[in-house]
Amino acid sequence: MDSAQPRRLEEHLTYELLLVLAMAALALVQVTLLPNPLGFSPALLLVLVICRVLLAIGLPYPDKEVAVAFRWAFYGGVALDLFSASPIGSHALALLVAATIVFAIARTFRVEGPLLPLVSVLVGGVAYELCLALVYNPAVIMHDWPTYTLVVVVPSVLLSLILTLPLFFALRWLAYGRRSPANDTGRSGTPYL
Amino acid sequence: MRDYLDTRPIKLRAEHLSLPTSRRPFVLALLLGLIAGSLLFLDRQGLLAPARTVFQETISPVAQRLTRLRDSAADFWAGIQHIHHLREENAYLREQIGDLRADLIARERVLVENTWLRQQLSIQSRQPWELVGAEVVVNSPDAGRRVMTIACGYEEGVRVGMAVIGQTDMEPAALVGIVEEVAPHTAKVLLMTDSGCQVSARVLHDGTSTLGLVQGQWQLGSRLRLEQLDREIPLTIGQVVVTAGLTSVLMLPLPMSYVPDGIPIGTIETLLESDDLTQFAELRPYVDPDQVRYVWIVLNHGD
Repeated sequence: MDSAQPRRLEEHLTYELLLVLAMAALALVQVTLLPNPLGFSPALLLVLVICRVLLAIGLPYPDKEVAVAFRWAFYGGVALDLFSASPIGSHALALLVAATIVFAIARTFRVEGPLLPLVSVLVGGVAYELCLALVYNPAVIMHDWPTYTLVVVVPSVLLSLILTLPLFFALRWLAYGRRSPANDTGRSGTPYL
Repeated sequence: MRDYLDTRPIKLRAEHLSLPTSRRPFVLALLLGLIAGSLLFLDRQGLLAPARTVFQETISPVAQRLTRLRDSAADFWAGIQHIHHLREENAYLREQIGDLRADLIARERVLVENTWLRQQLSIQSRQPWELVGAEVVVNSPDAGRRVMTIACGYEEGVRVGMAVIGQTDMEPAALVGIVEEVAPHTAKVLLMTDSGCQVSARVLHDGTSTLGLVQGQWQLGSRLRLEQLDREIPLTIGQVVVTAGLTSVLMLPLPMSYVPDGIPIGTIETLLESDDLTQFAELRPYVDPDQVRYVWIVLNHGD
């Protein structure tokens, strides 16, 4: 047996394990350390996943990078469910829906500047909240969706928008910061995320 | 931020980038979504509850600490934000504490006053005197003149020459001094130990009494001195000396005209050498005027 193959598998498993731990840590931060003014907690993982999707589109091998972003969504969502005592799979499903919608839109339209992450988090946030609403309160969202939107969805999304630009530029610096702009567009090298 | 954006524009969709054209990400998203949906279904069936319980029990201490950390930080920040409100609240609470302390002092004062009034009732039940109580405001400021100021004056019926009595533990109510000056609500009392204070007195002995004169001796190194006693009278240590009330009986317009008879003064403590006609003795007063904090003025003597 070739020795290179097991090593690559080990590396892959190690990477996935680290990814799971990192997402669990971030989920723990979201449910414990982040303040929740007026009962609304900033959706840290949602913003991170959407920003990761946006950055993945611009990186070399975007399919692979977007897949990584989806795995962020899945691991982070399951961790959130475990920490927050919500139905297991609900946050994972909501994050995946939001990431997929953002990916589908962002790969089609050409939007540049800080507006891109803001609009993406706005769209993704609405999808995320509606998805969670369908899991938690399907009856409420079906019968009185305007009130639910006004009371729950809008404040949550607005709160997430506050985190968007700082997190986006931080992730962007991690992805591109140590490489020259020329290399940003090349396919050589791997991103830091 | 603006400069940064201007100099390094975000270009996520550069033309030479290869766009993700395959459907692999969507397939992966669908696959993960199905897994998530399956987990959701299994959780709804209660199959994942044990695993969730174990996980939450394990992570609970860490989460609790982190939440406390968040709450502490939030409290600290809230304290900074509401410092103006806290200052106002602090001032309000300080004011309330001041009021409560004043109330407490007033209650204690009432208790003390109650004790004094009980003493007054006790005295009045045994003596035919009408009394009015007064607190000692100021004691003698110097040794040259033994006076005190009391919080009772002309408006309360106090007049010059009235007797002022006091009482200490284990002793009868006894003479403290004589009212010397009267203001509307205060009066100056010349203490009986002052060398300028002279009161006619009786020495009680063998079922009878002998007249004499009691004079203050504080400035002369003693307290009270009994004078002008007939040298034929057998004086012994411990004999009781009370006021004679002569000026009161004779209704003379003298400064001590209101001092009634029968007010205890003290007991004979030391017998002094006598001259050819009279004999002398030193008295131990029943009440030390420097120790009393509340006194009573004898307004009349039961007339």
